[in-house]
Amino acid sequence: MRILLVEDEPTLRAQLRAGLVEAGYAVDEADNGRDAHFLGDTEAFDAVVLDLGLPVLDGLTVLKRWRDGGRTMPVLILTARDNWNEKVAGIDAGADDYLTKPFHMEELLARVRALIRRASGLASAVLQCGALALDTRSGRVTLAGQPVSLTSHEYKVLDYLMHRPGAVVSRTELTEHIYAQDFERDSNTIEVFVGRLRRKLPPELIETVRGLGYRLVPPP
Amino acid sequence: MNLWRRATSLRLRLLAATLVALALALLLAGVLLSGLFRDHVMRQFEAALTQQLDQVTARLEFDSAGQPLIDPQTLSDPRWQKPYSGLYWQLDRTTADGLSRVGVLRSRSLWDTSLPLLADELADGAVHVHQGKGPLDAPLLMLERKVKIAEQPDARWRIVAAADMQEVTGAVGSFNGVMAASLLVLLVLLVLAALAQVAVGLSPLRAMQRALADVHEGRTQRLQGRFPTEVQPLIDDFNDVLDRNTEVVARARTQAGNLAHALKTPLSVLDQAAAGTQVVHDSELARLVKEQVGLSRRHIDWHLARARVAATQRLPGQRTAVGPVLAGLVRVMERVHAEKGIAITVQANGAPLFFAGEEQDLQEMLGNLLDNACKWARSTVTIAVEPLAGAQPLQLQVHIEDDGPGIDAAHLALVGARGVRLDESVPGTGLGLAIVQDLVGLYGGELTLHPAASGGLRATLRLPATGPQHPA
Repeated sequence: MRILLVEDEPTLRAQLRAGLVEAGYAVDEADNGRDAHFLGDTEAFDAVVLDLGLPVLDGLTVLKRWRDGGRTMPVLILTARDNWNEKVAGIDAGADDYLTKPFHMEELLARVRALIRRASGLASAVLQCGALALDTRSGRVTLAGQPVSLTSHEYKVLDYLMHRPGAVVSRTELTEHIYAQDFERDSNTIEVFVGRLRRKLPPELIETVRGLGYRLVPPP
Repeated sequence: MNLWRRATSLRLRLLAATLVALALALLLAGVLLSGLFRDHVMRQFEAALTQQLDQVTARLEFDSAGQPLIDPQTLSDPRWQKPYSGLYWQLDRTTADGLSRVGVLRSRSLWDTSLPLLADELADGAVHVHQGKGPLDAPLLMLERKVKIAEQPDARWRIVAAADMQEVTGAVGSFNGVMAASLLVLLVLLVLAALAQVAVGLSPLRAMQRALADVHEGRTQRLQGRFPTEVQPLIDDFNDVLDRNTEVVARARTQAGNLAHALKTPLSVLDQAAAGTQVVHDSELARLVKEQVGLSRRHIDWHLARARVAATQRLPGQRTAVGPVLAGLVRVMERVHAEKGIAITVQANGAPLFFAGEEQDLQEMLGNLLDNACKWARSTVTIAVEPLAGAQPLQLQVHIEDDGPGIDAAHLALVGARGVRLDESVPGTGLGLAIVQDLVGLYGGELTLHPAASGGLRATLRLPATGPQHPA
């Protein structure tokens, strides 16, 4: 899952980035509204954490431009001005949730998880695919109740697929959502991760759709 | 009190002063005119009588025995002949020693009476004017003249002509009557004119009064309308004061917001640092920082909320439509609490309602209550807005009801106390209800919490309302 983090305060941005990366997200950053708008407009993100008080272009304007341009990724706005006016304005501009500063990292992660899940149309924090269960809160994967040990990249691939059960996901899409922009991307590594996942999980769970990509097949 | 207020009314003062001045002026004019007229009539009357006296004097003859003789046939006025007709003459004789004989000759109209003897000494040929009582007690104007004839060097003859003054007083009386009536009509017309003048002259003040009432009742934010050049500067100044007031509050709020922004971001940094991996080893320090950050955050929230409340101070002329504010907050709640799938329904029947106060304050109150309701609700939150029947000044009520676990009676009293959180498992600062209660108190409203029929909590907010805006 790939997150766009927009915050102009460098220390806070670094902390948030660390927290998000630790939680298994690929994180792209922007420290002003113009860059944020460009990134959000051109790259694929699963969620955006957007501070409202930004230099160059304020957060609300960035958000409105994304929505006017048809970008639908879930957006969590961070606001320091603790008044409802700003919250209403944010939601009306197209935000999906808000968080008032200061906040706890766990709270932010919970909101981001919920937003991503909601965007996929999933209700529970524990994603299920037959006997396979992925708890988005703890990052634990179990197969028929038994824990499965995954590397961070394996987890990211499985997490993305499990958010889209039954849908065909291309290698490019997986790459886009697993790596941040400045990362050296290589779609061949995706094949490696999928191969490892197939060895750790029931092999028929991840189907290869020739020429298109992969699909998570729920057991009948 | 009422009487005193009336006495200080500008309109009444103007009217009273005008009325007194007019009455005095007209009274003076009446007295003056009446006097002038009376003088004029008297002079005419006297002139006519003088002619009569001249005529009688001219007709005075003496026979060979030296006896005076006036032939009544030679006097043209028929009144000389008619008894008590009101026109008389009389001839008296005075001797050199001062003895008199009254009524040697007299007009037939005097019949058997005579004119009273006038005891004064006259120069020959001079005419004296007297007033006195004549026959039938009629008031008379009497002219007398003394003549001396060459044949009787010792004798003086006094000729008196008298006329009844009743016709003069009658004329003066009827003139006074007509004049008084005319002056009265004039007074009425002038008073009407003064009334009209006061009404027209004071109409801008009344318009200003209405404009002020509109501002006071929140129908407008500034004094509306054009006023005469004498009043307009006052209106402009007042509007400036209102604008500055609003601006000051807006600036205070912005500064409070800026302060929040300035303080909260570093606090976030501290908080994240304390939670970060690099300090995990030093958990005592991390705990301390987290605790102090939490405390600082509560302090900031509390004092900012208080500052915002204090800044409001009920500016005049504020009104906020409840409907749109609720709709905005409901949009926020539906989005933010989408996970729980809470159905939020707003029941607002009838005409739109307006809160007599600032929009942000209404948002703060409703937002906090609604957020609480959504946090606790299982599936539904119901909001009902209604005018409070019969309340004067106008009031409105907002009921926010959830179907959550509710609060038991023992804890209800605790709710709303600063920083008290009954359930630490739900995010929040425990300040929400305290801020709501502060704001409600400031607006003279009331917040009551009751168990709802569904088992949840029912919060009822009673707030001042204003009527709909005047049509522009």
